[in-house]
Amino acid sequence: GTQIRSCKDEVLLNLPLLQQRIRQQMARHGLDEPSSDVAVLISHAAQERLKNIIEKLAVIAEHRIDILKI
Amino acid sequence: QTKTNSSSESSVLLTKPRLQELVREVDPNEQLDEEVEDCLLQIADEFVENVINGSCLIAKHRIQNGSNRDNKVEVKDVQLFLERNWNLWIPGFGTEELRP
Repeated sequence: GTQIRSCKDEVLLNLPLLQQRIRQQMARHGLDEPSSDVAVLISHAAQERLKNIIEKLAVIAEHRIDILKI
Repeated sequence: QTKTNSSSESSVLLTKPRLQELVREVDPNEQLDEEVEDCLLQIADEFVENVINGSCLIAKHRIQNGSNRDNKVEVKDVQLFLERNWNLWIPGFGTEELRP
């Protein structure tokens, strides 16, 4: 059958605060409060973004340390 | 400094312990300077602002041009913004096309 993989269980960011920010910003745009899925999605996206940066930093730092060894 | 994020830390979007957990997950040997941590927290903050704002613009555009009178951002607005502007696709929100 079809397997659905999800990653909803753990969120990186402080969800109540994130939801508060979302509410405020959206009110500024004249929009109503969205479903809580939106906050969870944004948290996961931020997690991916940070992960990507951390991965790159690891490579860059290793490279710098290798050069120093020579 | 190994305490995980408690509910008392409600004034910040991301705590350093939580960030360190993420770093360990990516690479157990990687350690970040404190300045780098601060920098990453700021990047996370700016990213969130950017995504919220972009999603609002997409939602407003969609609402303006459609018959849907629900005046709010939907998951698909955020996903569209993430994909187009950040090249990020986050699965698991029930919007994927399921193939048999």
